[in-house]
Amino acid sequence: MVLLSRRKKATIDPDILALSKIVGTKSILHHKEDLLSYDCDGFTIHKAMPKAVIFPKNTEEVSAAVKYCASHNIPFLARGAGTGLSGGAIPLNNEVIISLVKMKNLLSVDYENRKAVVQPGFVNLKLTNSISHKGYYYAPDPSSQYVCTIGGNVAENAGGAHCLKYGVTTNHILGLEVVLPDGEVIEISPNGVLDTPGYDILGILTGSEGTLGIVTKITVRILKNPESKKTVLAYFDRVEDGSHAVSDIISAGIIPAALEMMDQTAIEGVEAGAFPVGHPPDIEALLLIEVDGITEGIAEQIEQILTVCENHHVRDVKVARDEEERGRWWANRKTGFGAMGAISPDYLVQDGVIPRSKLPEVLKEIRNISKEYNLRIANIFHAGDGNLHPLILFDSRIEGETEKALLAGTACLKACADAGGSITGEHGVGIEKKEEMRFIFSDEELEAQTSIRDVFNPHNLLNQGKLFPTPSRCMDIKKVVNETSLTKST
Amino acid sequence: MDELLIEGPLTELANRFGNITPHIRYPETEDEVAMILQEANKNGKKLAIVSGGTKLGYGGIKPNYDFTLSLKKLTGIVEHTAGDMTVTVKPGTTMQNLQQFLKQHNQMVPLDPAHSSASTIGGVVSANESGPKRLKYGAARDHVIGMRIVYPDGKIIRTGGKVVKNVAGYDMNKLFIGAMGTLGVITEITLKLRPLPKHSSTVTLSVQEDALNDLKSFIIRIQDSTIEPVSLELINPTLSKSLFHKDEYHLIIALEDVKKAVLFQEDWIDENKPTEAMMNVLEQPEDFWTRFNELTPNSQNDFHDTTSGVMKVGTANMGVFPLLQECDRLNLEGNVQILAHAGVGHGLSTIIVSGQPENVVQWIRYIQAFSEEYGGYGIVKHLPFELREQLEVWGQQKGSFSLMRGIKQKIDPKNTLNEQRFIGGI
Repeated sequence: MVLLSRRKKATIDPDILALSKIVGTKSILHHKEDLLSYDCDGFTIHKAMPKAVIFPKNTEEVSAAVKYCASHNIPFLARGAGTGLSGGAIPLNNEVIISLVKMKNLLSVDYENRKAVVQPGFVNLKLTNSISHKGYYYAPDPSSQYVCTIGGNVAENAGGAHCLKYGVTTNHILGLEVVLPDGEVIEISPNGVLDTPGYDILGILTGSEGTLGIVTKITVRILKNPESKKTVLAYFDRVEDGSHAVSDIISAGIIPAALEMMDQTAIEGVEAGAFPVGHPPDIEALLLIEVDGITEGIAEQIEQILTVCENHHVRDVKVARDEEERGRWWANRKTGFGAMGAISPDYLVQDGVIPRSKLPEVLKEIRNISKEYNLRIANIFHAGDGNLHPLILFDSRIEGETEKALLAGTACLKACADAGGSITGEHGVGIEKKEEMRFIFSDEELEAQTSIRDVFNPHNLLNQGKLFPTPSRCMDIKKVVNETSLTKST
Repeated sequence: MDELLIEGPLTELANRFGNITPHIRYPETEDEVAMILQEANKNGKKLAIVSGGTKLGYGGIKPNYDFTLSLKKLTGIVEHTAGDMTVTVKPGTTMQNLQQFLKQHNQMVPLDPAHSSASTIGGVVSANESGPKRLKYGAARDHVIGMRIVYPDGKIIRTGGKVVKNVAGYDMNKLFIGAMGTLGVITEITLKLRPLPKHSSTVTLSVQEDALNDLKSFIIRIQDSTIEPVSLELINPTLSKSLFHKDEYHLIIALEDVKKAVLFQEDWIDENKPTEAMMNVLEQPEDFWTRFNELTPNSQNDFHDTTSGVMKVGTANMGVFPLLQECDRLNLEGNVQILAHAGVGHGLSTIIVSGQPENVVQWIRYIQAFSEEYGGYGIVKHLPFELREQLEVWGQQKGSFSLMRGIKQKIDPKNTLNEQRFIGGI
């Protein structure tokens, strides 16, 4: 990151001066060329310029900056690593961006009581890496975990491949320190004690996409590594067989730690990407299944899984021989979105959820959408919990194709909503799916939610224009830049 | 929709515990709930909400309400798709009936709160109740994925959805879980399910007080080891006496997995347990847990002459050791009896204080202060009305209280529902 050390020239904007006093002149960006990389996050279709970006070093600075913005009617928002896929950190209203990347420390680990305290800018995977020598880990594992921050995870209630068994971020947050939109600092269950009396403020803040407060300290639950992990890879000639195998594994009373699926187009992408593993190009679906727990109990579950796959005409099924092979299979899966860049100039990631039992029919519907819009759609998804990620492949250089891709994405979400599902399982609503909120919520239900926002954020200066539909739809479509470079950066 | 006026026992119940009135209305549909609320809200009436009626002694310092709305007739399964591992149920359904229904499909709601035969899913969710299995499975807040709520003005709001993973909009479920019925009336709940364990076992280890530190070290070893207990419940000697006829500390370890893995864990415990500990693998674990489930008095069964108060205390996981030891010290003081069990892996303890009313109040207050000193809290889950008035049953209010008051004012500005039932009189 380039900070403002080379420019000493005073600025005439009094807000910039005031904010510089709070965070220091080396911790503020306000020249246009420095602000360019903050005009969007992982959702690159919409861009807007911030007024400034500040990098507070502690809670007091966050609070002081927020107080300044609030009293001067300046819109502001918080940002972590900027990997969000729904546009939650895009400064639609020329916001002051409060970047939390300098608040990146692991403050404490308490193994006896199974908790850790981190600052919001602490990177997700670093937590697991910091405690793995004692056999512990932090469970939520979004694909971007090597770069995304835990503060961002709280804002988005991030999930990941392993949340089928272990739950999403909200199930692992024990306490928070929060700067409210008026600058007041509150602590909720600072000692990480469960069920603090009163309404579940932790629960409502988690997943509020940065619209209710700015998290400055997080107490999380840490878990002990399971004794054993076994990973199975299964290839199916027909996508229906793969879908039915998913249902039967769950019905057999097995809760795999992860149960992932990819279709033929997705396989083409990951095999052309940075981590190919040699999946056959002519299968319609593959399943990546991981079971973990006590060694003595694993073999029996693997046997059952293999039987289920065979009952559904699996072409080939194998168990990872060692950690190296398991790691390669997972690298291939976790970099799946970015790998689409190898087979398409641009792509759009969607994030619908459906009841697991509706998998075959919704996949069929997505194939119809693909035909209707004449765009290829790859499917990479968390099959175990019905969380689909249709990746719509397009070429923004072709006139009108970006618009078409957006419409196809909306159609996929409509299909999920119509099947009794949701429009987002882990990426959040942001600005991307604001309008699609109407697929699942009535006006009264949306109003019930915005009235809660009014309690926390009455002047709506914090992250304005996110999460909820606006009366009239206005979309500024710009070029999609794929995230390949980001995803390959490890 | 019946409208009943019952005298006699109900009046007695109302007098003893509050949070209910002799005048009760029993809506049979969500629309009827909406009608009742809309009208009450318009006319400034104050309602008490009740479901199974086991928690009348839990919170609440308002002496009377205009009438009570009971969810007793809103019962039954609305929808169950075995393959999706979700169930939608009406709030008045008892935990036992819900679990029995799911058992036919080899599934369960992984919640084991007290009084499962009388307590209802609506009440359990409204109080965010959990039991010993919370260590592995979590609480109501971890399992509820969607609800239908009638707001105080009668409008019907859906929160969450019917899929197991969902981040669309605010996680509104969380507002109503544990809100003690102060924000809306729950008319439908959708929960995530788990498969019934293929095998289960319950192991007890007993030690005398002087070996309690060894037991603590052993628990830390369990946590650092690869075994995965479903519960680690520590029982104080007074309670052990009534459960096991033995005046010692007991650690109850529940195990659930495929048989081989359960047996492996039993062996591991046997090999690694403290030398002073006596180990016992229960022969009838289900009978034990049924008895355990009915340990605490509740407002449906507590009409004894002795006064009993039930507390829920939250501390850090290992904070349960000083807490239980303190309880035993108080037992020696002699003027109350204290039974206690504590979840070592999650830090939630249940403490039953029995004796003369003034002593019960005195020691509840003491345990509250003790818990707060250790960075936790102590709330009163069950106590007669007149004694609740003498206490802060929800403990100290914290920094986020102004937000809580703001939420109550926003959703229920006229205080139509369960007024003064919850923390800080909200």
